[in-house]
Parts: sequence; structure tokens; C-alpha cells
Amino acid sequence: MQNLDVEQASDANLVVAVGRWYEPALAEVYRRHGGAVHALARRILRSDPPAEEVTQEVFLDLWRHPEKFDAQRGTLRSFLLARTHGKSVDVVRSEESRRRREEKMSRETATAAYDIDREVWDMAVAEQVKDALVALPDELRHPIELAYFGGHTYQEVASLLKEPEGTVKSRIRSGLGRLRANLMERGIEPAGAGL
Amino acid sequence: MSATPEMSHTEIEGLLGVYALDALDPETAARVEAHLEACVRCAAEVAQHHEVAGLLANSGGAAPTGLWDGIAAQLDGTSDLSWDRLAARLDPPDPARAAAGARPDADVVPIGASPRRRPWVSAGAGLVAAAAAVVALVFGLQAHNLHGQVDAMQSGPQLSSAERAALASPSTRRIPLAATSSAGAGATPATIVLTAAGIGFLVDDRVGGLAPLPADRTYQLWGVVGDRTISLGLLGPDPGIVPFSVAGSAAVTEFAITDEVAGGVVQTANHPVAVGAIRV
Repeated sequence: MQNLDVEQASDANLVVAVGRWYEPALAEVYRRHGGAVHALARRILRSDPPAEEVTQEVFLDLWRHPEKFDAQRGTLRSFLLARTHGKSVDVVRSEESRRRREEKMSRETATAAYDIDREVWDMAVAEQVKDALVALPDELRHPIELAYFGGHTYQEVASLLKEPEGTVKSRIRSGLGRLRANLMERGIEPAGAGL
Repeated sequence: MSATPEMSHTEIEGLLGVYALDALDPETAARVEAHLEACVRCAAEVAQHHEVAGLLANSGGAAPTGLWDGIAAQLDGTSDLSWDRLAARLDPPDPARAAAGARPDADVVPIGASPRRRPWVSAGAGLVAAAAAVVALVFGLQAHNLHGQVDAMQSGPQLSSAERAALASPSTRRIPLAATSSAGAGATPATIVLTAAGIGFLVDDRVGGLAPLPADRTYQLWGVVGDRTISLGLLGPDPGIVPFSVAGSAAVTEFAITDEVAGGVVQTANHPVAVGAIRV
């Protein structure tokens, strides 16, 4: 018997159930966020096999250490994506991955059932995010894109953009702040601890 | 890096954006992390950056189903692995055999077990006598746990208001017991509801729960405490809701249900029909 209706449960409640080793809860977390996790890993790694490894690690980590997610601090999706990003960047920065990225391997991936309303919401949000990003001046947008999607350190970004390191460092921080403001103007309220 | 000077709050603050995007070298990132442990304000700012970055990444789309199978295969705490851990505790380690690289279960006889699972007890290990002593002496289980619960079963789920209140307490834990049969894979036919005071209820799922047994059989509940397995009581042939107590014993970490002759057994040689572990 299990009282939790995983499809109706909030992300936070799913994580509590994961903490009690309730596998269907992890499956539901995967169903909701696995696509975004995999897409981010793939975008950074540009190759499927390592992206799949990262995706698996992210969900296995959640299974083993659900206590690391703090619902007070932000959404489960951003928590998973931050973990995904960190792991992907680690892979990018390792020598082995440089070789792997040269390989063009394709692998068939099945498509899970996906809530149509969630998909529509995702698409609408994606549009708004794109607008908010475009509204950002280039000098703030480029360093963020290079660091986040390119997996570069800020020193590498500075060298790529031929800007001083300190400038890049502060532009990334203020760019993220501006982006947040732009998103809120467009009616998207990014979660996260506000003080 | 040697003799690195302490970084000020302001210096760390300036790094929060690049830290959130993993654009720092590992040493500096570790120093930011150490600061975040103590500084709520900076931790909150990083959380905000993560939310914004998460939206940039959020391309939506469906989760690849093929990948889930790979994840599910590696989960511990699921029925198979939980049962492996149970069985591993019951198999005394044999250093000579381990050194020889033999399979640890190579010379034991599965009883009622599917071939791929490890058996409930190893043959000739003297565990039966040891476990009987444990049940009789060490844990001092109340007699009603072994013999009186058929009555509780027959009277059905009559919970007192105190029991209901205990069940509603946030400290009360629910431990799903997963089916061990391949036919029931993924199913949770029963749940243990365990209060902080050590009062537990075995709740048999009304739908897809434990299959009713003939009158000369009974389900029996077991708990694993350390490296020992103790009987927690008889559940009857068609459990419904059955109370039991683990108060007074050391912490039970895992539960298992077996199918036994009516009247129960002191130590089981049968493969469990459902198992579940408490997440510590």
C-alpha cells in the first residue's frame, strides 16, 4: 500500500517519498525533469553517451542523498539542473571527454509520455526566457552563454572575449541579476530564496 | 595553492555569479562553498542564480525512457537489493571463501526462492538456534506479538483515537514493503506504519495486497536488528491492519513478511513475500 499519488504530489513531497525509498516517486521526478536534465547535459556535452551518464548520476544522487535538496532554497528542477551543469562541466573539463566529444555517436532514445499542458507551459516559458535573454545587452549575455553552455571557466571566457577577468566575473553576476529582473517583468517569477 | 589569504565577504560575493555557473576552478569553488555554509545571504543569492540558470537550460521535452531503465537498475533499497542486504546479514561472512573468490552463496540451498535471489538462511549455519535465543531472550518480545495477533486481524482495523493520532504524527514513518516475486515486481502489497514510540501497524493494501492464505497458513512479520532477524508477530492469513510493537528492542532497520504454517515459526527458512527497509 502506498498513499502517495505520485502524479498529484508536489516535487517536494516526491523528494520526501524518495527519502523513504519509494521508487515510483523517483520515477515521477524523472518523468517530470528527466527531459530537461538530459537536454542540458546534452547541450553542454554535445554527445549522447556522456549526457546519459550524467543524467543517470543526477537521479541516482537524488535517490541516495535526497536530503541535499532544500525546498526552501528553490525548485527541484533548478536543483537538478545545477547538479547536471556541475557534472557536465566536470566531464567537459576532463581530457577523456575532449576525445569523446569528437566522436559523433547517435543513440536512439525513446520518448516518454509527456503532459501536454506541461509541455505547452515549458514552451511558453522558453519563449519568455528567450525574450529576456535577448533583451540583455550583448556584453552581459555573451559571458553567461559561454560559461553556462560552453562549460568554460570565467578566465577562459575572458580570454575568448578579450576582456579583463574581473570584468567578466562581475558581468556574469550582474547579467544573472538583470536576467532575473527581465524574467519577472515578463511574469515569470524564478523561485529561489529571497531574503 | 599555498598560503592563500582569506577571502573577504565582498570578494566572495563578487564570485557568486561565476560560482553558480560552475565557471570557477575547483580550489576557488571550494572556498566559496565553505563561505556558503556559513553565509545565508550569499547562499540565497546562489540559489537565485541557479533558478535563473535553470530557466535558461529549461528546454522541456520528454524524459528519455530508455535511460530510466538504466537508473532503475542501479537503485538500492528496492525489493531485490533490499532482500540482498537482508540475506547478506544472515549469511555469516566466511573470509576463506571470500579470499578464494567464490560466490558467497555458492553452497547454500535456496528454499522457496527464485533462482536469482539469495536464500533466506544458509544451510547449517546454526542460525536457527541463535535466532531462537535472540527472540526468546534478548529482545523479550511480547507473547501477544507471536500468538495474539490473529485476534487483532479478525477484529479488523479498529484503531483507537490515540492510534489514529499517532499515525497522523509527522514523525510517523511509512515503509513500503515491496513484493519480491517477479510477478509482483514493483508492487507494494503492504506498508509498515511506524510511530516514533515504536508502535507499528502492518497495513495490507486493500487492492493488490497480500494474497489471502489457506486457514492452515499465516503471514509472519520479521524485523532485522543489526545482524539479527527477529519475529515481530503473526499477521494471520489475510492481514488487513495488524498492530505490533518494536518498543524495547534496538532499532529495526528492515522488515520482511513470510508465509508460514499457522502458529508461526521461531526462525523462518522461507523466502519473504515482501520486504522493505527503513531509510536512516
